[in-house]
Amino acid sequence: MDTPVTKAPPAAPEAIVKLQGLAFAHPNDTSGRNVLAGLDLVLPRGGFTAVVGPSGVGKSTLLRVVAGLARPSAGEVRLLARPRPDRRPAALVFQDARLMPWRQVAANVAFGLEGLHLSAAERRRRAQEALALVGLAAEADKWPAQLSGGQRQRVGLARALAVEPDLLLMDEPFSALDAITRHTLQDELLRVWQKTGASVLFVTHDLDEAAYLADRVVVLGGTPARVVHELTLDMPHPRLRGALAEEVAGLRRALEQNFVGGAGI
Amino acid sequence: MKDLPAGGPPRYPVLLSAAGLAIFLGVWEATVRTGLLPPAWVPAPSAVPLALVREIRNGIWITAVGDSLSHYATGVIIGSLLGITVGAAVALLPRFDAAQAWVARLLRPIPPLAWIPFALIWFGASQTAAAFIIGVGVFWLNYFASQSAVRAVDSGLIELAAAFGQGGFFRRLWKVVLPAASPGIFSGVRSGLGQGWMAVVAAELFGIPGVGQRMTEAAGVLATDVLVLYMLTIALLYGLTDFLFELITNRAMAWTRQ
Repeated sequence: MDTPVTKAPPAAPEAIVKLQGLAFAHPNDTSGRNVLAGLDLVLPRGGFTAVVGPSGVGKSTLLRVVAGLARPSAGEVRLLARPRPDRRPAALVFQDARLMPWRQVAANVAFGLEGLHLSAAERRRRAQEALALVGLAAEADKWPAQLSGGQRQRVGLARALAVEPDLLLMDEPFSALDAITRHTLQDELLRVWQKTGASVLFVTHDLDEAAYLADRVVVLGGTPARVVHELTLDMPHPRLRGALAEEVAGLRRALEQNFVGGAGI
Repeated sequence: MKDLPAGGPPRYPVLLSAAGLAIFLGVWEATVRTGLLPPAWVPAPSAVPLALVREIRNGIWITAVGDSLSHYATGVIIGSLLGITVGAAVALLPRFDAAQAWVARLLRPIPPLAWIPFALIWFGASQTAAAFIIGVGVFWLNYFASQSAVRAVDSGLIELAAAFGQGGFFRRLWKVVLPAASPGIFSGVRSGLGQGWMAVVAAELFGIPGVGQRMTEAAGVLATDVLVLYMLTIALLYGLTDFLFELITNRAMAWTRQ
């Protein structure tokens, strides 16, 4: 990868990602319009940070820049993960599960392990462990097409967990699921997060979801987008879904103040 | 729902198909036996098994089939591999695509059989000449099938490969692009298998040893029973290669049927 992700020893041990003066413009857009500009953000190690904002504001772009899939046009992305030969510093969970239909479930989960310093037996073991973590150990030999939407999303999560990332990047992973499956997977994610100690950067447009999951919510707004509001939620998990009205209302106000024009929220 | 409308599905379709074939052969046999058609024009179907026995006894059948299969296999394998490779390269490398675009546009419309004179000049009436003619046709089929299959690979899967450390050209090609494109590539190979047999017969009519050459010889002495025997032989070989390839495809592409 030739993206400018600097892997330095952690300067401040509590940070996992530092974004400074980050700007991004689509490479094919010659108008010079930035999607992101002047974006500063520090993600604490082990934290669960949610990024909210209206559709099209640049949430997914931010995630792709942090993942090294898109090159920022200015500024700096510092991923402060210790490089280790049997792990990947960051892993991504997509909105569509994005499984490879020609691989069975276990082989899909093992995909990110290929190319790491692991024997075939270790890769199998790691894939099985990750599948067990998301409750799909029994489905290892199924084809993706045989799974439900919720199961596919779990496989996508297991694939990311298998590489034991320091940073778990999630791009609206539950937005295409029905409400009941979504709630189940949210609880599973919290359990996995607490068990693995990974840092999570979770993009969503669902304010209730952000308030239920995250210990910090970052609101993106403006054109080009930057951080317009931050909210720390220090209530312990599990939280009561009905008891977060005040926090959600606060987030909604922050969004609306930055979208007087009434962009869809 | 007891009364099916006329033209609805028949109750015993296999019986009906067998009856149709029997009637076809019966009418054919009758027209020859009654002298309505002279045997020099059309053989009686009952004469064909006898011709088979004769051709097997004198060893010609197995030699002809062996020769045809040998240059068929050479031409199909080389033509398919080259076509898949070049087609995938065109889809993956924009500069190569641009560089070859007009050359392909110039050469592509030439029917493969139009290469027969050059094949004979370059290689003589040899196995190589036949393999070359077969390979040319097979190449273009695979070139287009593989090109469009590789172009159609979901860009989301390419991004997935990059996100999980498999973004390098060859890793991406091997782990994502080729598997994702394989259904399209396989169907290109399959149409090449059919086109290959057409080219076999055509090439051999120009004197390259094999089934087609034996047909020319039989036609010269009006041995129409032998002619029909080798027509059916080609049909059998084509059916057999197609069937075997379908077995392989079903095995390799099990995931597409889930």
